[in-house]
Amino acid sequence: MMDAHQLIVCRCEEVSLAELLETAEAYQCSARELKLRTRAGMGCCGGRTCRMLVDQVIEQATGHSPSHTIPLGYQPPVRPISFQTLGGRNR
Amino acid sequence: MIDALIIGAGPAGLSAAIACAKQGLSVRIVDEFYRAGGRLLGQLHQEPNGTWWNGMEEAARLDREARAAGVEIACGVSVFNVVPSSSGWIASTTEGEIETSLLLIATGASETAVPVPGWTLPGVMSIGAAQVMTNVQRVRVGERGVIIGVNILSVAIARELQLAGIQIDRMILPPVSTVTGKAGFPEAVMRSLLRVAHLAPSPLIRWGSQLMKSSWMQRLGVSLYPSQGFSMWDIPIQLRTAALEIVGTNQVEGVRIARVAPDGQPIPGSEQIIPADFVCIAGGLSPLAELAAIAGCPFAYVPSLGGHVPIHNDRMQTPLPGLFVAGNITGVESAKVAMAQGIVAGLSMADAHGALADSAELENAIRQVGIVRQRATIQFHPDIDEGRATVGQLALASTGK
Repeated sequence: MMDAHQLIVCRCEEVSLAELLETAEAYQCSARELKLRTRAGMGCCGGRTCRMLVDQVIEQATGHSPSHTIPLGYQPPVRPISFQTLGGRNR
Repeated sequence: MIDALIIGAGPAGLSAAIACAKQGLSVRIVDEFYRAGGRLLGQLHQEPNGTWWNGMEEAARLDREARAAGVEIACGVSVFNVVPSSSGWIASTTEGEIETSLLLIATGASETAVPVPGWTLPGVMSIGAAQVMTNVQRVRVGERGVIIGVNILSVAIARELQLAGIQIDRMILPPVSTVTGKAGFPEAVMRSLLRVAHLAPSPLIRWGSQLMKSSWMQRLGVSLYPSQGFSMWDIPIQLRTAALEIVGTNQVEGVRIARVAPDGQPIPGSEQIIPADFVCIAGGLSPLAELAAIAGCPFAYVPSLGGHVPIHNDRMQTPLPGLFVAGNITGVESAKVAMAQGIVAGLSMADAHGALADSAELENAIRQVGIVRQRATIQFHPDIDEGRATVGQLALASTGK
């Protein structure tokens, strides 16, 4: 049987719930700091699966409910694209 | 340079395109999927009055109307950046840059993941993925499945899978944990489920919903809840059972479940493994805000609308010049509400362009959104009106600066 805390939250970077909780508890930090410390949300999908979960871990660990500002910022490109596309040479 | 670019060819985007093009604007829609319709494509459910809502047909109708009105629809195109320009907006897409004077972001909502131990095994998918595979791709997701997460969306999709001849063994809750929110608490789940009780095929459930208006009745309801749960369309819905782990060596082989107390804690000695070859995880929806965020739009955190939504007024204008939003990006509601909002956004864009023939049409469209919302078969959240009012006040405050 698997320990529930060993479950993977960020699949791209293979960050477990335990690692997120321990880091959030230890540093009482923002979602952004948690992301930078664990790399959760920094994988190739751009945090499209775990972004909300990282926010939830922070809410639980620090007791801060979310403000009107989006906790984890977005940066372009918001989709995985080729360097060719990024350079403006399509197809 | 076009007059209006619309991102998202779902119910909101298509409705906006039609309304806008009919006022004489040049309109282009881009969408990531290879065909237009957005989440409409997967929808198939029976309304309480007995008629069927066929999303596939609705999507085809809107697509035809939009093309007839002169809208250019480009599918299979992703937008990865939007920036303001001196004359409007520039969208960076996988097909190059598009310059437009007006921009509508109608990107809908995305599913919220609910991690359950074993969720990385092949054969585990989100409930929305199962819906698309079944109703759009016509691919069988498996022979016998378990749905983890009981909410309005998952109950509706369970029925769709069943109509396609796929066996749903049961619907159960996720385990209580940091990352499963309220989805693991029987009482909270029951409360949200009661809002769809009028859709239930069984009169027992309908009576139950009348009895359970008070919270102490709900607590009692959860503790007296039959151990085998109740069934909708013969699909067992078990609010006192949770998935502890999805098991399998190379793919899903089953789910380890346990009975849970009314507080969601597993009851020792009640564990068993049930066989399954696929698992759907249903965590609900949250507005897909990424493009509005990089555009620089201010946001409001409104839980009843599904999380962070771009601030906008009743004309679907954001505080940024030439930037509009419509549909589920503004709050998770039904496709019909999204369509009504789309019409408002389309007319509003025509107005911003100085091309709106009759301003009464826009006023009527705004009223229509409220009417459609009141008549909605499925209310995703009991406090939607309150949430909408909050966003409206923030929009007023943002223009007052």
